[in-house]
Amino acid sequence: MSNETILEVDGLKTHFYTEQGVVRAVDGVSFDVREREIVGIVGESGAGKSVATTSILRLIEEPGQIVDGEITYRDLTIVGFEEQDDGTLTPREAMLSNREMRDQVRGNEIAIIFQDPMESLNPVYSVGHQVTEFIELNRELSGGDARQEAIDMLREVGIPEPENRFDDYPHEFSGGMRQRVLIAMALGCRPTLIIADEPTTALDVTVEGQILDLVKDLQTKYGTSFIWVTHDMGIVAEICDRVNVMYLGEIVEQGPVDDIFHDTKHPYTQKLLESIPRPDRTVTELDPIAGTMPSAINPPRACRFHTRCPDARVACTEVEPRFVAVGNDADGDGDEHEGEHNDHRTACIKYDDVGYWDSVPLEKVGDRDIQYVGDRS
Amino acid sequence: MTLLRYTIRRILQAIPVLIGISFITFVLVNALPGDPVAIMLEGQEVDQETIEAVERRYGLDRPFHERFVTYMLGLIQGDLGYSFHRDMPVSTLMWIRLGPTLLLVISAFVFALVTAVPLGVLAAKRRNEPTDHVSRIIALIGVSTPSFWIGIMLILIFAVWLGWLPSGRLVYPWRDPAHYGFDGRLELYYQTIRHLLLPMVALGTLQMATIMRIERSSMVESLQEEYVQLARAYGVPERTILRKHAFRSAQLPIITIVGLNLSTALGGAVLIETVFEINGMGRLLIQSIQQLDYQVVMGVTIVLATIFVIGVIITDISYAYVDPRVSYGDRD
Amino acid sequence: MATTEGQLGDGEEPQVGWRHTLAQVRNDPTARFGLYIIAIATSVAIFSAVDANLSRLTLGAYHDYTIGEWLPVLENPETLPPPGEMQTYQPPVFAEGGSWDNPLGTDQSGRDYLSRIIYGARISMAVGFFATFLGLTGGVAIGAVAGYYGGWIDDVLMRFVEIIYSIPALVLVIVFTVFVSGGNPDVIYAILGVGIATVPVFSRIIRSRVLSVREMDYVEAARAAGVTDRNIIRRHIIPNSFAPVLVYATLQIGFAILIVAGLSFLGYGAQPPTPDWGQMLNHAHGQMHVNPWMSIWPGVAILLTIMGFNLFGDGLQDALDPRIDN
Ligand SMILES: Nc1ncnc2c1ncn2[C@@H]1O[C@H](COP(=O)(O)OP(=O)(O)OP(=O)(O)O)[C@@H](O)[C@H]1O
Ligand code: SF4
Ligand SMILES: [Mg+2]
Repeated sequence: MSNETILEVDGLKTHFYTEQGVVRAVDGVSFDVREREIVGIVGESGAGKSVATTSILRLIEEPGQIVDGEITYRDLTIVGFEEQDDGTLTPREAMLSNREMRDQVRGNEIAIIFQDPMESLNPVYSVGHQVTEFIELNRELSGGDARQEAIDMLREVGIPEPENRFDDYPHEFSGGMRQRVLIAMALGCRPTLIIADEPTTALDVTVEGQILDLVKDLQTKYGTSFIWVTHDMGIVAEICDRVNVMYLGEIVEQGPVDDIFHDTKHPYTQKLLESIPRPDRTVTELDPIAGTMPSAINPPRACRFHTRCPDARVACTEVEPRFVAVGNDADGDGDEHEGEHNDHRTACIKYDDVGYWDSVPLEKVGDRDIQYVGDRS
Repeated sequence: MTLLRYTIRRILQAIPVLIGISFITFVLVNALPGDPVAIMLEGQEVDQETIEAVERRYGLDRPFHERFVTYMLGLIQGDLGYSFHRDMPVSTLMWIRLGPTLLLVISAFVFALVTAVPLGVLAAKRRNEPTDHVSRIIALIGVSTPSFWIGIMLILIFAVWLGWLPSGRLVYPWRDPAHYGFDGRLELYYQTIRHLLLPMVALGTLQMATIMRIERSSMVESLQEEYVQLARAYGVPERTILRKHAFRSAQLPIITIVGLNLSTALGGAVLIETVFEINGMGRLLIQSIQQLDYQVVMGVTIVLATIFVIGVIITDISYAYVDPRVSYGDRD
Repeated sequence: MATTEGQLGDGEEPQVGWRHTLAQVRNDPTARFGLYIIAIATSVAIFSAVDANLSRLTLGAYHDYTIGEWLPVLENPETLPPPGEMQTYQPPVFAEGGSWDNPLGTDQSGRDYLSRIIYGARISMAVGFFATFLGLTGGVAIGAVAGYYGGWIDDVLMRFVEIIYSIPALVLVIVFTVFVSGGNPDVIYAILGVGIATVPVFSRIIRSRVLSVREMDYVEAARAAGVTDRNIIRRHIIPNSFAPVLVYATLQIGFAILIVAGLSFLGYGAQPPTPDWGQMLNHAHGQMHVNPWMSIWPGVAILLTIMGFNLFGDGLQDALDPRIDN
């Protein structure tokens, strides 16, 4: 797996300046995507997954703003800042203009599939028209060729008789079929990377399975990379190569799927894994993650997960966890082998030498409701 | 084919409404405390014989339901009764007066749409910027100002003070230019526009303001739709998004409101025709009320309501045409 | 949405938070501005209706009375001097020949134009409020019944509403006032007429609300618990539909004022000598070439009043619209 890295996100911060305060939706996130792989981003609702992925296409809208970090796609700088003399950050010269983003990146290099297939297609244009339009826009094809390509892609994603369905409107398709149309749209533009933002969440389980199979097939066929956003560890296991676990605007653990599943480090990941429905447990036995996610306006100090973490100790409220490598042991046999990689990282002070083990468990202190005022520093 | 069936169904649905309209108008004018003959002859010294003669003439000596049935039977054949005062069939009168009113109302809507749609789109695009604020203030004033007062002000400014435009009466483009002593068609059309300008703006301002508000909010909503986000994500230029992706579905509420607002526009035409001395249906209504020509009053009311009903059917069909989701079946 | 038994018993639904709404409106400068206008217009309307001396002044009993002499006169009505020479069509203060005694000039009978405009608020506000109240009551009743029962009741009622709506409001009101009054139109008929013309708007909103509320859990539960239809409508459905109705009622008052202005302009509203904006414009229209300023003030008064209701209604709507909340 020595595929070239195509996308690199480094220290990305995207904040929303609302009346209630600054929502730190994405607050220092780093990950990368290599050629021909499916990278998962997993986390609860509100973790910042969508904000992170829309930042990659620079589609964040008011009151949101990318305030820091680097996003590099091959040799293109999607986001990049430089520090001025007075300490402020300004966009770097190399950063693509909006126009360049539109012409060089969106659609033709990086395409996207949204969560809700019901809302993603324009109700007043025919499905064929919409697929053709985007293909024509992003590839050097004439109108007629684009139309033919659209029909071929629709066939490819399993729409029966695409010539006949071409002029049908979105409401004449089922949810699963619409999601197939959106996949056809994305693949039809021949991008290198497709961002799929919870594309199967709105579908029922059978259809979800079909779509996942379809994507796996097509991904192999076209060699496209995917960023697959989901809140379901089951899906991650099924299709991802590597995964990033997100909590409250930060990535808390990342690594190859095998490591994450078999050598789980972060307590939050642990919780997520426990919440996968399994045949041997009934739904009522599921262990949902205790409590609700705090607001991203004034996130908990130090480790953001400490308000819900079963392993939390006093140190967790004081020491900012660093991202440390915990991998090198993909098969869990305790040794490092040839071919194992150093990709597995986590942000939990249990794995860092900062005094976690000497600290008192947080419950005993009884100050779970520490008041946080103002921004954390 | 389906569209045709839908059209036919909508027309069939309108029939009971039209009967209902006729009934209510008939009741209002005939059955309630104001006895039409009494009103008509009010202030005149008349003997019993005259009253009876008038009653016979209008068939008022017969019972109410009989009169209504007779009236309805006439209506079906296009007979709206007879104008006592003008000595001609009401339907002929309607035919003469319909043109000016339609000219006025349609041009008011054209004015409203041509100004409000681009302004609304622009305001939505530049939300919370100065353009938006200005257009919102215009819209607010527009929905708050009585059309007839706008008419008076326009006359004051453009006719009385500046003397640029005529203060009333219309020139009808379907007439012979010689009738007005014009040189040819071109001058006729030019004069038509000149005469139409003020009443059109007066009547159209309310519509413009209403449409602008709806256009703005509809576009704002539409611009946040996921399919618009998707278009952006695929690199579609903002201009195309505004003109195509967000625009089309955002026009659906506009189509609806144009149909519904036909009602306020037709009501407004009564006032504007009075202010600008335009001999259309509205002015006819007022004149007939003053002349107590109650058959004409009924006729005008029914015809105006019918225009409204037809307008709504037309907009419903356009809606179905633009929005493929309408199944031509069960949209109410 | 979770509902407990207790809430059901009390007939309390998950209502849109009143306090929240009010706070929102209070924070919205435009809505507040609208509220100020409404408050001023209302108090002027009430004040001028209550004070008999002011009424006499504006009604023309003392034609030559000037605004400058108002207060002393109102305080000591016995000092009212006898009517003097009428000074008709006096121009406003800023025009040549105007004076501060009659800041906006005088009318065809020499009555102070400003006092008449102020007094005119009374008719407009009264018609606006009462007509809307009538339309609201009728509309809520019809809409609630139609939406709740559905079937042929719904069909019949909504057809009726459609018929009323099809006749342009102003035309309906004119025909109503003229013929129902037996040829003697007056404000009371105008109120009735506008009320009837307003019914369709309210019945439609209420009906559509009812259709969505009807399916909600607590209504289902109430029905299962044997609560009568009447009580379900009264205690669950109507209160729950209140928010949009309130917005529309506010906007509808403005609309009612607009219609009545038109009606009076045509001469079928309030009758002289009662001062009324539309009626004043009627006279001013004839004076357009000679005394153009007369056309301006009543229109401005109508514009401001209606704008007040529109601003406030918009503010309410913003406050109640969950989309803007997010
Ligand atoms: N336009 C916005 N204005 C203010 N806050 C926003 C906006 N968009 C997102 N946020 C905030 O950013 C945070 C992350 O949102 P995001 O949509 O990325 O979550 P997510 O992980 O994709 O969740 P989901 O699984 O529900 O899609 C949330 O707290 C959300 O409230
Ligand atoms: S740092 Fe502490 S609170 Fe955070 S995840 Fe690790 S153990 Fe839990
Ligand atoms: Mg999301």
